[in-house]
Amino acid sequence: MEELVKALTIGVTNGLIIGLIAIGYTLVYGILELINFAHADVFMLGTAFTYFATELIVRGLGIPASSTLALFLTLLALPVIMLMTAGINASIERLAYRPLRNAPRLAPLISAIGMSFVLQNVGLLLLGPSQKAVEPVLPRTDLVFFPSGAAWFGIDEIIVLSVTIPLLLALRWFVGSTRQGKAMRATAQDREASGLMGIDVNRTISLTFLIAGGMAGAAGLVVALYYGQTFFQYGLQFGLLSFTAAVLGGIGNLTGATLGGLFVGIVAAMSDRFIEAKWTSVIVFSLLILVLIFRPTGLLAEQQSERA
Amino acid sequence: MDKRKIGTLAAVAALAFAACSGSSGGGGGGSKGEIEIWSSLPRQGSSKAQSDTIVNAINLAIEEKKGVAGGYTVKYSDKDDSTAAAGKWDEATEIKNANDAVADDKLVAYIGTFNSGAAKLSIPILCGKGIPMVSPANTYPGLTKAGKGEADEPDKYYPNGCTRNYFRVVAADDLQGLAGAKWAAKLGAKNVYVLDDTELYGKGIADVFNKEAPGAGLTVLGRDGIDGKATDYKALAEKIKATNPDLVYFGGITQNNAGQLWRDLRDAMPSVKLMGPDGILEQEWIDAAGEAAEGTYITFGGLPADKLTGKGADFVKNYNAKYPNNPPEAYTAYGYEAAGTVLAAIEKAAAANPADTLALRAGVLKAIAETKDYDGALGKWSFNQEGDTSLTAMSGNIVKGGKFQFDSVIE
Amino acid sequence: MTEMVRAPRRTFPNPMAGMDDRRRQIVILAIVVALALLYPLVYRRLSDAIPFVPWPDTAVLVVCATFAILALGLNIVMGFAGLLDLGYVAFYAIGAYTTAFLASNHFGVHISWWIVLWLAVAAAAIFGVMLGAPTLKLRGDYLAIVTLGFGEIVRLVFRNLGDITIALPAILGGAVLVGPNANLTGGNVGINPIDPPIIPIPGPWGNQLIFSNQNVIASWYLVLGLLTITFFICRRLRDSKLGRAWMAIREDETAAAAMGINTVTTKLLAFSLGASFSGFAGAFTGAYNTAIFAETFSYNVSILVVVIIILGGIGSLRGVVIGAFALLYVDRTLLPWIGDNIINDPMHDLGVSTGQQILTDFKLTTYNYLIFGIVLVIMMIRRPEGLFPDAGAKAEMHGVGIAAEVTGASEAELTVLGELEEVELDDAPDPDPNAPAEPPSTTTGPEAAR
Repeated sequence: MEELVKALTIGVTNGLIIGLIAIGYTLVYGILELINFAHADVFMLGTAFTYFATELIVRGLGIPASSTLALFLTLLALPVIMLMTAGINASIERLAYRPLRNAPRLAPLISAIGMSFVLQNVGLLLLGPSQKAVEPVLPRTDLVFFPSGAAWFGIDEIIVLSVTIPLLLALRWFVGSTRQGKAMRATAQDREASGLMGIDVNRTISLTFLIAGGMAGAAGLVVALYYGQTFFQYGLQFGLLSFTAAVLGGIGNLTGATLGGLFVGIVAAMSDRFIEAKWTSVIVFSLLILVLIFRPTGLLAEQQSERA
Repeated sequence: MDKRKIGTLAAVAALAFAACSGSSGGGGGGSKGEIEIWSSLPRQGSSKAQSDTIVNAINLAIEEKKGVAGGYTVKYSDKDDSTAAAGKWDEATEIKNANDAVADDKLVAYIGTFNSGAAKLSIPILCGKGIPMVSPANTYPGLTKAGKGEADEPDKYYPNGCTRNYFRVVAADDLQGLAGAKWAAKLGAKNVYVLDDTELYGKGIADVFNKEAPGAGLTVLGRDGIDGKATDYKALAEKIKATNPDLVYFGGITQNNAGQLWRDLRDAMPSVKLMGPDGILEQEWIDAAGEAAEGTYITFGGLPADKLTGKGADFVKNYNAKYPNNPPEAYTAYGYEAAGTVLAAIEKAAAANPADTLALRAGVLKAIAETKDYDGALGKWSFNQEGDTSLTAMSGNIVKGGKFQFDSVIE
Repeated sequence: MTEMVRAPRRTFPNPMAGMDDRRRQIVILAIVVALALLYPLVYRRLSDAIPFVPWPDTAVLVVCATFAILALGLNIVMGFAGLLDLGYVAFYAIGAYTTAFLASNHFGVHISWWIVLWLAVAAAAIFGVMLGAPTLKLRGDYLAIVTLGFGEIVRLVFRNLGDITIALPAILGGAVLVGPNANLTGGNVGINPIDPPIIPIPGPWGNQLIFSNQNVIASWYLVLGLLTITFFICRRLRDSKLGRAWMAIREDETAAAAMGINTVTTKLLAFSLGASFSGFAGAFTGAYNTAIFAETFSYNVSILVVVIIILGGIGSLRGVVIGAFALLYVDRTLLPWIGDNIINDPMHDLGVSTGQQILTDFKLTTYNYLIFGIVLVIMMIRRPEGLFPDAGAKAEMHGVGIAAEVTGASEAELTVLGELEEVELDDAPDPDPNAPAEPPSTTTGPEAAR
């Protein structure tokens, strides 16, 4: 029983991170009907920036990695990193997607693939070809234990949850209750009509990319600290899982992205734990296909009428 | 008319003179002409750091002979068997290197490969044309030994009755896996969990460890393959933790996310012993694993650079003097030794005055196969009939303070 | 006469159109054929005679041709039928593994490659149906992720079945059903060697003609033959009723269904026929390389083929073939050549003098994908229809419909690409000011792609 709960906890923590990245895919898809292939690479840059931040703090400033000050400074870097990734994401939109706003679907998709290549190479230039360990700024001490004495979760999981959950909730609030959020939803529903109603479509789209980029950056920080590593190919590895999660939940649906993330995270953890790690990806993708056979638009998507 | 005749005669004479003088005493000392040595190593991606040092070592070996062997000028070509896209060795590229080698009549030896999977592809191609291949780093047993890999190995690498052309200066994994098992037992472990990265080298050596473990007095609690592209191994670590092992053995290479694996294993089991083979014996791995690398036990199919004595120590000194920014890694000295073996064989073959470079090549192949009591950086050793080195000393290394430290020789 | 040529095109060829065009085409075709047949024989002499030119060597051309076959196959799925397939590598793998299973020591089965070739095609086609069937109800972008998932599943299954032990759980007796440690597919260790195709006729090549990587010239002719067959079949398909059905589905599936097209069979046929060509490519690759590993058939290959057909000109047969040759040539010959001969050394010197390690180690090929990425983005913005599109795709990509043909209005007046900042009702160019009743899809008929 305890093993099950522990595996579930791992699944939920990983799942929330995947969900945070998946939200970026779903936001952009909702508003542009574009699969933003470059999104996960923006996330990868988030992990890279975090790596450099911790290097600066620990090696540059000489603050010991295990001290609370180091952790505090790193978390202080979170908004900075989020702003940087947000800016990068919005610039990509301006450069590579806006000129293709009215082109048929394949053109921005290929442009996104192209941007993904570019960002990966930027990551390669920054990080080199190997994985790089991030300074262990995140404390790992176990806090909560099972009745048997085995560890359940610790400070690191708590910090991950306290970054991801508020961000997800804040996003929910923003999209649901603010004026700009309403503009985003309107533009996602019908771009032309929104324009007619006086919504500045370009600004709304830019805002969407900013938010998606910021989420990716936050996820990047969390992954860099929690997994302890950065790698220029993280975009490929996380992107596949997160995009699967977004589609699973119903692409375009925010709650769906989070749910999809949790689903993927939990399935992966269960498979690693109780089956065998080398089959995990097969199982995740097979479940995705099964779900889509029975619910072709994902778990939570509203049935949208087919666009002409 | 006379003037023209004289002019023509003069021109012909000049040409003849030039042709004659060209063939004797040409550039830098090698009077018999030019021959080539190629190396085929992964020069991109994360193996680049180590292959850099191997290429440097080969260059050093050739320079020490002033670029001349047996009277021939030696031209060294550093070939890449990796692609940017893959970031590691690539089949089509290695096949191309081997086929290009076959088409080059001046080539007398091929130093390579670094990855055993690549060697599987090029050995048969080179065998067909009798080109000797000396590897500084392949450790998959099936390339030379029967009964250690698949059923039809190693004969399938030497098809159509061609003479064995493949040699390696490093001991194969059947020895290293066994050494790992013995060392684990010596460290006091009773229960072990075995992991591998599903690739040729990693799975191969993990299989050997798995097989030898009972003989060494160990109980194998479980065996799992990991996905090098997975993002984390936390749940896997829990699975292993539940079996309560004393030691976890991972057969694999740095590039398959070994760093992340180490971190997650350490997190879940702070006091378990972790052991790996020389696939993770490189600085890149320590950089990737960070703190989790501390205290890891790593076997190596030879002796680390700083433990070499005599000519080996000289080599390390000369190498450091020439390449201060690329300190020697695990296989650097092996690259040097491979080059040295080849050069010595060229000297021997040249003494028989072969008619052309192809005959020289045949002579080189024979001379390498007959390498006996070669006195080099790694010690005094010979190639056996199967192309394996007679050196079998394995070393156990431990990571201390973020660096590899030699611990003991494992017999 | 000009009026007639500019009239709305029907979907059958106009035999009167452009006789000079036709002659020109025959000349170009003759040159291409001659080049294809003779180049490998003169390559060495050419590159010796005129050095300092990046001549592609025959091995690179063989890889180009293999990808051209893959591109033509994917072109059926994506270009003709408009189905977004990001997991095409799965069929390539099926083709290669079928060959490996039936023509190697792995299972001890040694069927002649000439027969195995067609078995590989059949296997790939069957898998095309199997993978296509669950996707029938999916909308475009969901299709993308599912096909991508299939691609990964196939690769991982081939990898994992290299070492498989299936046993009943202890409660049921623990009997071992498969294994233990059965090696069904070779996994990442691979299956090697694979029997190459052989023609047992003696000649200047020895006793037998063996088509493996050791005889690149012969292999080139073989893959060229396969490519030609593929090309002609694709052309017939495009001009056939099935081809038109695919294009109808691509333009508007609902309308197509309403017109009586059986979308289920048509889509399945697209997947299956598209997949069958990768059976060709897979069988050839297995034999040429004489070995296969699971790792080769990764998601990157799928993306590469997608990039090839987009760059070459989606939907256009010539375009995707040229795209394949161009891209692989640039990747494997041109960029390395530029690196070795022009850029790497100066960069190295710069690095040594400034002490920047990243410059000292500079190798242009490390940044191949950076260059490709930038080119892709620029291409999409400036020329999304690809390098050699068919006229219909070009029109479609630039948002110009049949209106341009009929009214003679200039492209600039009608194009909506990148002109709009905000949708304003007054100024919005109506893309179909004088549009006749027919839907624009007729411009994408086979006639347009001459």
